[in-house]
Amino acid sequence: MSGDSLPLTLPFSSFATDVCEATTLYRELRKPLLRYLVCLGLSTDEAQDVVQDAFLSLQKHIAAGGSQENVRSWLFRVAHNRARNRQHSYDRRFSAPLDPEIDSIADESTPEQAVLEKEKFRRLGEAIRLLTQPERECLLLRAGGLRYREIGEVLGIPTSTVGDIVDRAIRKLVEKCNV
Amino acid sequence: MCDSSGSLVAWIDGELGESESATVEQHVLACAECRSRLDAYQEMSHAFVAYFEAASASKTPRRLTYWVPVLSGTAAITALLLMFLRPALEPTPLPAPVATVSPTAVLEAAPEMARRTARRHRIVPVQTAKTNWSPAEPDIQITIPAEAMFPPGAVPEGVSFVADLSLAPDGSVEGLRLQP
Repeated sequence: MSGDSLPLTLPFSSFATDVCEATTLYRELRKPLLRYLVCLGLSTDEAQDVVQDAFLSLQKHIAAGGSQENVRSWLFRVAHNRARNRQHSYDRRFSAPLDPEIDSIADESTPEQAVLEKEKFRRLGEAIRLLTQPERECLLLRAGGLRYREIGEVLGIPTSTVGDIVDRAIRKLVEKCNV
Repeated sequence: MCDSSGSLVAWIDGELGESESATVEQHVLACAECRSRLDAYQEMSHAFVAYFEAASASKTPRRLTYWVPVLSGTAAITALLLMFLRPALEPTPLPAPVATVSPTAVLEAAPEMARRTARRHRIVPVQTAKTNWSPAEPDIQITIPAEAMFPPGAVPEGVSFVADLSLAPDGSVEGLRLQP
């Protein structure tokens, strides 16, 4: 590339890099975000809309020169807040039950094992329903691969509080399920 | 309950500092109660992730949203822009001159040519030596009626010109030739 062309092509190259990074982020985080939102009680279509919306907001945020640090927790926070707003507007319970299709989970080799697995999932489902909203949210975000610091950023609570909540939630589940 | 049990979940998650982590690790080796708790917490953590994935998989359709095409489209457009702009900055060899087209034929074919040239629009820089200048293949052909440029009656009816323009890399007009 000639020296003269540098000033003209640099902004485009930088834009292209941003777009490529955004695409990589989308591929990496779309599924965890969808899982989280669906588990919060959003319908699949609502979750898709919220994820879409969150990524478009991210693009605007980056285009406006916003910070690109902690993008993962930024996206989860935006998605989390939008999910909350939608649920308020639809007057739906935030802690809707997390009900997997148990028949599709049990993929064990023997019918006995399948029955045991189904029973384990049923008990776990009941125990999860008894958790408080912050406990469920922390565990869901943790299951989505977020660190305690990131969970704290999403929920707006200190990292040490996240540690306490996660610890308490896991203990509760263990007690209820008699693991 | 053992005092160290409060750090077990954070230890599983790799959230403890180096020295604290080493302390918990040593304690777990010595404390049977904490080892048992650790197993239970780990099992529950895996079970929760499995439940979380199953719960979301049963509700999440396996279809792609339109965001990937939007981003891919943007990336493709960016790549095209980069390819499109680069030739304007780097000198390219002088293209071979094209045969002169009669003004009437140009006027008649103008709308169709405009459509065709619009799709392959590209700025082609030419050599600056004015003595050797010859018109490049017209990249953009614009038909301007005489009435729009000259006062009424200044140009006799039926007379038209073809102007060949060449643009320098900086956008200035480098060569101009009028043909009847």
